[in-house]
Amino acid sequence: MKKRLGIISLFVLLFIAFIVIWNYSYYQGRQEAYIPIDNNQELPTIASEIGVFQRSEYALDYANMPIDEKHQRSLETYYDNRAFYGAPPSIPHDVESERAMGDNSCLKCHNNGGFTEKFNAYAPVTPHPEMINCRQCHVPENTQGLFKPTNFEKGSVPVTGANSAFQGGPPVIPHQLQMRENCLSCHAGPSAPKEIRVTHPERINCRQCHVPNNKVIEDIGIFKRSNTNE
Amino acid sequence: MFTSMTNRRDFIKKMARLSAITAAVSMFPGILFAEEQERGLPKGGNLDWKKAPCRFCGVGCGVLVGVENGKAVAVKGDPKSEVNKGLCCVKGYHSVMAMYGNDRLTKPLVKKNGTYVETSMDEALDLIASKMKETIQDHGKDAVSIYGSGQWTIPDGYVASKLFKGCIGTNNVEANARLCMASAVTGFLTSFGLDEPMGCYEDIDYADVFVLWGNNMAEMHPVLFSRLLDQRLKRGVKIIDFATRTTRTSMAADKSILFLPQTDLAVANAICYEIIKNGWVNTSFVEKHCNFTKGSTNIGYGLEDKFAFKDKPEKISFEDYKVFLEDYSPEKVEKISGVSAKDIKYMAAYYGDPNKKVMSLWCMGMNQHTRGTWINNLVYNIHLLTGKISEPGNSPFSLTGQPSACGTVREVGTLTHKLPHGVVMNKEHREFAAKIWDVPVENIPSKPTYHTVEMFRALDRGDIRFMWIQVTNPMVTMPKLKRYRDGAKKEGRFIVVSDIYPTPTTDIADVILPSAMWVEREGMYGNSERRTQYFEQMVEPPGEAMSDTWQIVEVAKRLGYEKQFYYKEETHIEEIYTEYRRHHDNKKHNMAPLEVLKENSGMQWPYVDGKPTKWRFNSKYDPACSNGEDFHFYGKPDGKAIIWQRPYEPAAEEPDSEYPYWLNTGRVVEHWHTGSMTRRIPVLHKAMPKAYVELNPGDAKRLQIQTGDSVKLTTRRGEIILPASVNQRGVPAPMQVFVPFFDENMLINDITLDSFCPISKEPDYKKCAVNIEKV
Amino acid sequence: MPIKSYLAHPHQGKKDELILAISALKHCEVVPAQNRDIIVIVTETDTREEEDNLKLKLEAISSLKLLAMVSGFNTPQKN
Repeated sequence: MKKRLGIISLFVLLFIAFIVIWNYSYYQGRQEAYIPIDNNQELPTIASEIGVFQRSEYALDYANMPIDEKHQRSLETYYDNRAFYGAPPSIPHDVESERAMGDNSCLKCHNNGGFTEKFNAYAPVTPHPEMINCRQCHVPENTQGLFKPTNFEKGSVPVTGANSAFQGGPPVIPHQLQMRENCLSCHAGPSAPKEIRVTHPERINCRQCHVPNNKVIEDIGIFKRSNTNE
Repeated sequence: MFTSMTNRRDFIKKMARLSAITAAVSMFPGILFAEEQERGLPKGGNLDWKKAPCRFCGVGCGVLVGVENGKAVAVKGDPKSEVNKGLCCVKGYHSVMAMYGNDRLTKPLVKKNGTYVETSMDEALDLIASKMKETIQDHGKDAVSIYGSGQWTIPDGYVASKLFKGCIGTNNVEANARLCMASAVTGFLTSFGLDEPMGCYEDIDYADVFVLWGNNMAEMHPVLFSRLLDQRLKRGVKIIDFATRTTRTSMAADKSILFLPQTDLAVANAICYEIIKNGWVNTSFVEKHCNFTKGSTNIGYGLEDKFAFKDKPEKISFEDYKVFLEDYSPEKVEKISGVSAKDIKYMAAYYGDPNKKVMSLWCMGMNQHTRGTWINNLVYNIHLLTGKISEPGNSPFSLTGQPSACGTVREVGTLTHKLPHGVVMNKEHREFAAKIWDVPVENIPSKPTYHTVEMFRALDRGDIRFMWIQVTNPMVTMPKLKRYRDGAKKEGRFIVVSDIYPTPTTDIADVILPSAMWVEREGMYGNSERRTQYFEQMVEPPGEAMSDTWQIVEVAKRLGYEKQFYYKEETHIEEIYTEYRRHHDNKKHNMAPLEVLKENSGMQWPYVDGKPTKWRFNSKYDPACSNGEDFHFYGKPDGKAIIWQRPYEPAAEEPDSEYPYWLNTGRVVEHWHTGSMTRRIPVLHKAMPKAYVELNPGDAKRLQIQTGDSVKLTTRRGEIILPASVNQRGVPAPMQVFVPFFDENMLINDITLDSFCPISKEPDYKKCAVNIEKV
Repeated sequence: MPIKSYLAHPHQGKKDELILAISALKHCEVVPAQNRDIIVIVTETDTREEEDNLKLKLEAISSLKLLAMVSGFNTPQKN
């Protein structure tokens, strides 16, 4: 009797499970006019951590790579094709197709970098390969002249070697991290400008020691606690 | 970066705090610390980041402008903006450089004996006011006019409308948005009775299929296009490019379908035909929420002066509509449009599939169209028949090209027939506006006067004697430009131009006023998704440059309207916005208060009970719905949207033996509109230094034209020589050419045609007949 | 001149109490998290003894469940 009850209840259970699952998938499959919208999606102000580890599988290769001093970039040339500190760089070479938005024709070289005979240089690696409409932000130079001269002044750029708290302290990150979360793409490998090339790419958790230092909206000065009783 | 940091202890404290915060973040992902603490992250350099909407297109990206020593030196995307989530396009990133061209206008200039003489702002404003008085005395109120822009901030447009319509008493108020958005407006009004999209950008996150109707989004709305690409990466959505020319968008799309110019009308009808034939109609939706109506046909092209048209809507039945569609079977349409029946069925199948959410996107391809209102109606038909409207992911979405085409021109209503709330033809609307404006209701004339093309024609004829042009460059953008340039230069016309740089339009001016642009003053813009965004003044304007708002207020005071223009200089933007909000004080259009705009990266209207309305007409999201059903199209008296019977009619000027090619004009990603700002940004000018004519490689081969060769384009209006571009940025279909219009040295609009949509009065810049030859 | 930062976990429901208690102490800065029961404390004292005293005071607070040091610095003089 007990055995039979057990078998019956097993089948009842299976049947109920079937109905529940069937119902669920039926409602899933139905076109619903209403999508509950989560209004409280706060966009985090502390820079996203996504991407920090993105190129970490190459970290050991980076560490073992010899430095090609003849073809290394420096910060000076790095800023050459940027309108201001933090601006998207313009494209210093001819492009394969004007009609393509970028995508694979750019990523071929700029996804992983590598030496190109044609330009006698290492291709810089993009920190945001998932954004494939490259030409939305990066444009080539087709002329040297200007339509009208400009009075725009490039703002100041951070100086290397001056952004550690004390001697030997880990330098802080002086630039914004938006779209630049992937540290190794610019700070490691042969295309990294020599001044900012990291000496220890194998320690991939960069932001364990290097913290961002970039004013996000506006400065409120040094934090003071409200009930000062000093 | 810490060279400026003197207090090492403070710095160490920051480091200590920050490392603790970082540790907390790694332990509890998503942890948030109070706003003040986040802002207190150690500072870098002297940069102050302040938020603003981007100066350029209608997408309305949130940007953060970096200010150092009183100058704007850097831009980054605002990660808190729901529009762009931190990404910009190349124009946005370099936008601050547009303020620093070294030929900025800094002093008022008055034309005396053929040369421009510097004067003071006071004198220039006195002169403008006295000229206006004189013109009104000699030629009547309707001889003075103002021509503004979708780049007007909300306060600019509001004071212009108040001065001209409310105080002076003329409906001679127009804006360049007539040239880009008017068909979208009349499309919305005829189909739904209320302007502006029911959906919003968030639809992109829910839709499964995107159909781009004649819209090169990869170049013109790149930030939104990147959101599409992002969704494709994450969810595998489909992007269909339906266009007349192969572009970057076609290359990026999953499918590119080419059609012959003007035949989008036929294809849209064919899609409806297929939907009905295959039983994909959402019957309960159509029965509850839609009416069928037909309008006049053979409605003309507006080529003659004083052209007038009034549509005669007539109710029809679903059966009548089905009979009408018999002429638009895919097989029949294939012959007109060059689109294979298979491709038409392919698109129809996506629209018809009840399990696919579809978003249609369009901009100038559908709006700058001699049947612009019709094609807008027809795309709504597709969405209404299938019930795919007003819900997340199912969204016909009309994009805009100017930062405040919606916010100022459409919402404030700086068009001849419009008031901030309603139209001048309606007595109650006039009374409502007059009360807020504190003017006698008789002041506001009940008849609209001139739409943009007709306004410039009136200037040519001499019916208009005084025109004030602000933030726009009509001497580059008017179609059939030569007529209107010559007209503006005639004796007895007085033209005032407010701008920031010398342009072909300042060349025709009698007085040039230097304007303060964008973040050199305070203001608001409204983008395509009904989002109003505020920006503060971040830097000082150069020289005597003054905001367009204050220029108008100063002139209004000089004309004796101190009572209506009571605003104080320090707080006038806030006062004007608060007054403006009173016009929209209802559930269907309520605007967010200024404090809310200041705190957020923009806020969508209708703003009801402290919340934005993301999907209008859907009772789950829109508190203005009141019929107890799921949907309520409350713009129409009976609460029903209209499915319009609109036929295919040919373009105003089609290629013939003498002029065998189609001429299409448009933009490129690097330059914005007439390039008066973007060409002064070195990065952008270097990338795209001059205009060109794109040819089909087959045509080029036959004519033995190679890239760089000079090509002469001839139309019935004139001729122009441009360098050829073959197989570069875009590839037009055979027997078609494309020319971008940003280059003031190669004014393509000298040869375009001033035909327009009889309903919206928006010119068609995309189609006229041209001949090409190698020179 | 030690400067140290800690993460402090309050007993359940006693976050506000803890914030108040720590704020009352000298040489302490408090940065509470908005959506989690965790508080960042930064201390700045003149001598090591003072630092030790402060730590004792902190640990004596009844609403505190756990105090974890994250970083510590020592600078020679105040400027």
